[in-house]
Amino acid sequence: MPLPASVIGELKKVAGRDHVITALNDLRIFERDGSIEGAVPDAIVLPSNTEQVAAVIKVAARHNIPIVPRGAGTGLSGGAVTIRGGIALQMTRMRRILEIDPVGQTALVEPGVVNQELSLAAAPHQLFYAPDPSSQKACTIGGNAAENSGGPHCLYYGVTTNHVLGMEVVLADGSVHWVSGDAADRIGLDLCGVLVGSEGTLCAITKVKVRLLRIPPSIATLLAAFPSIDAASQAVSAVIGRGIVPAALEMMDKVTVGAVEAHYRAGYPTDAGAVLLVEVDGVAESTRELMAAIREVLSENQGYAMREAQTPAERDLLWAGRKGAIGALGRIKPNYYLHDGVVPRSKLPQVLSAVGEIGVHYKLPVANVFHAGDGNLHPNILFDLRDRDVLHQVEEAGEEMLHAVVELGGALSGEHGIGLEKSSYMPWIFSPDDLEVMSRVKSALDPNGLLNPGKIFPDPERKKISLAGRTGFAVEAKWW
Amino acid sequence: MVRAAIEVIKPRTAEDLATTLGEAAAGGKAVTAVGGGRAAGMGGSLHRCDVELHTGGLDRVIEHSPADMVVSVEAGITLEALQVHLAKSGQFLPLDPFNSPGHTIGGLLATGWTGPLRMRYGSPRDFLIGIRVALPDGRLASAGGRVVKNVSGYDLMKLHLGAMGSLGVIVAASFKVFPQPLHDVTVESHDGWPAVDAVLAAPVAPSAIELFSDGRVIARFFGSPDAVNSTVKTLGWPGTDREAWTQHSHRAADRWARIAVPRTKLREVLNALPQGSRWWASPGVGIAHWAFDDEAAVITARTFAESAGGSLVLMFAPDQVKEKVGAWGSPPPTLEVMRRLKEAFDPKHILNPGRYVI
Repeated sequence: MPLPASVIGELKKVAGRDHVITALNDLRIFERDGSIEGAVPDAIVLPSNTEQVAAVIKVAARHNIPIVPRGAGTGLSGGAVTIRGGIALQMTRMRRILEIDPVGQTALVEPGVVNQELSLAAAPHQLFYAPDPSSQKACTIGGNAAENSGGPHCLYYGVTTNHVLGMEVVLADGSVHWVSGDAADRIGLDLCGVLVGSEGTLCAITKVKVRLLRIPPSIATLLAAFPSIDAASQAVSAVIGRGIVPAALEMMDKVTVGAVEAHYRAGYPTDAGAVLLVEVDGVAESTRELMAAIREVLSENQGYAMREAQTPAERDLLWAGRKGAIGALGRIKPNYYLHDGVVPRSKLPQVLSAVGEIGVHYKLPVANVFHAGDGNLHPNILFDLRDRDVLHQVEEAGEEMLHAVVELGGALSGEHGIGLEKSSYMPWIFSPDDLEVMSRVKSALDPNGLLNPGKIFPDPERKKISLAGRTGFAVEAKWW
Repeated sequence: MVRAAIEVIKPRTAEDLATTLGEAAAGGKAVTAVGGGRAAGMGGSLHRCDVELHTGGLDRVIEHSPADMVVSVEAGITLEALQVHLAKSGQFLPLDPFNSPGHTIGGLLATGWTGPLRMRYGSPRDFLIGIRVALPDGRLASAGGRVVKNVSGYDLMKLHLGAMGSLGVIVAASFKVFPQPLHDVTVESHDGWPAVDAVLAAPVAPSAIELFSDGRVIARFFGSPDAVNSTVKTLGWPGTDREAWTQHSHRAADRWARIAVPRTKLREVLNALPQGSRWWASPGVGIAHWAFDDEAAVITARTFAESAGGSLVLMFAPDQVKEKVGAWGSPPPTLEVMRRLKEAFDPKHILNPGRYVI
């Protein structure tokens, strides 16, 4: 529903004429994120500073218009989709790195700063920003904080919430606050801890202060082949069971390896049932010793064709294959539906065999590429949107996979968020009391429900997935 | 406060605790949860306390899955009992608070106390993965889960951690636990800050480093044997017994305070303390504990800590000292937002009234 001209006028007054978008064809660009479902916003506003963000939110509050903060749109759970219409608050003009403090090892950034750009900017100080979502070439720090994003190296280093020291946020009433800061154990409730990962439902993020870490002097990266997913899963448990927590411990199945190798030619063994990519970092003595121990454990667990990257370029190529895996899957089918459940690590073999069976049942190819060390799986259901009837099947298969995760004591999402996609499954893991208490937090901070409505909490009125005006056009497979 | 009127209740289950809390709240009674009592001196003096809910009966390990490195416990279990349980599988919870032994898990979460290992492992903020809390309306509500990585729903673990029981009574918690280190070496120096600077610049960061007001420094290195041994050799400090850490964790004082400031500001804040002050500090984290003498010194030190962007909180002090200087210092600028959350969880203000800032 188009916004009244008077409201558009108010928004233009706040952000400038050029930074308010209302033409339908332009709005369509913002109708979706990296997930399946979309909805066209009524307006896009591109603020350039905190004051404008606060002013836009005040306009929205005055007219009772939903408002949805949005970063690079790489999210995978529909978090940035304006499912109830309203204003998409596009934060990507706020993209300055305001400060890098090499002594305190912190950075202060605007929300639109791209994840990888921050690490590149910190590199001259021998520092880096640890959370590394596979979309790090595009995704923003603000989006990462809103979703509490993870990444391959979060096994050792922790996810976004472990690295955010403080934030400047705008609440639903347009008030601006700093939450937390550099010092440990600040007085009062940990608002920052609750707001990180709140998926745009509690605040808009306008500045983020993050912790930077020293770049490890030595990194060792190993690729190992296994006859089956089961064997690779056992090996993962065995490594951790030995008391070793690698920086990253990633798994790819045969389908994924085939696509990755065809695309990147990184030397992945295409005959293997599964491969593990293992990385350790630290001082040279430590990486050497740990890698030797890891090789031993992997060999004992049917690992073969082990190959350690000999140069940084070789390591980069191995990682390009892993981080670009989902894009490479476009060789098989143009579309994918990616889930993000987490199980206790020891349940990986069970859940992966359930995932495989579900794929067979629905006659849909499934490719697994995931954070094995954390038990965080990413089954990709591959399909072609041009097959009109397939979407319903895809959705049902995805739902069954998530149900298998929950039955094994797992959680709905490890790093992508609940968003739109999984909100109706929340009662699978939380009791009505649990959800009621979470909704008290929402009501306390956003009593009128203006910020990113229709997300996280189950919505009884929600319809099944809609294609948001996309009729029959294949969405080009994205790199990831 | 008339202590004689306090009713002490020792529930055996989380459900009993929640029911008792609900009934007390419905009757307008003020409730305080009591764990091991090791941090009972923290916070403002209670305005009112009608019911004490002792969590000691809730002392079970609910589930420990060594392969998944996850443990769920009831809130009344002591840290030591949990560590004994985890050690059977070669694992541990990296929490080593002062004024040990005898802290309960619930108490540690409610107060947010940590120790030297925070340098390497962070605080429970980083490894608390699930929580179950009893609320004044008698409900039991959970958040998080039993997996090590989880963004399903709001992270209410963070809200209850360090909230001094002002939003609910923690009845159970799940943690990510850690493998015991492959190699664990402690070394010692008496060279004060220069020694600290040398350790913090070393290629292998210590897992813990503690500086004492007399210039003594102890540092602990975890890791692969080769890396640890070569680091310690380069450093050139003599080794010392690991028992030093246990003794250190027993430390407390009749009147003591916690100073927490940005890491880079700790030195100047400690330098501003009165001459001859007795303190111990985690310079890698930015936290110090100070056995203070008089209120005037606390006021001065707090001014320094707060202007450095940090805080000074009383850990234990007589009521009259607390009343004079305040347990917490300046309220946070977001106090109004925090109060909205307090209203949502404890609208009648029956949980620990007067103890926390909200």
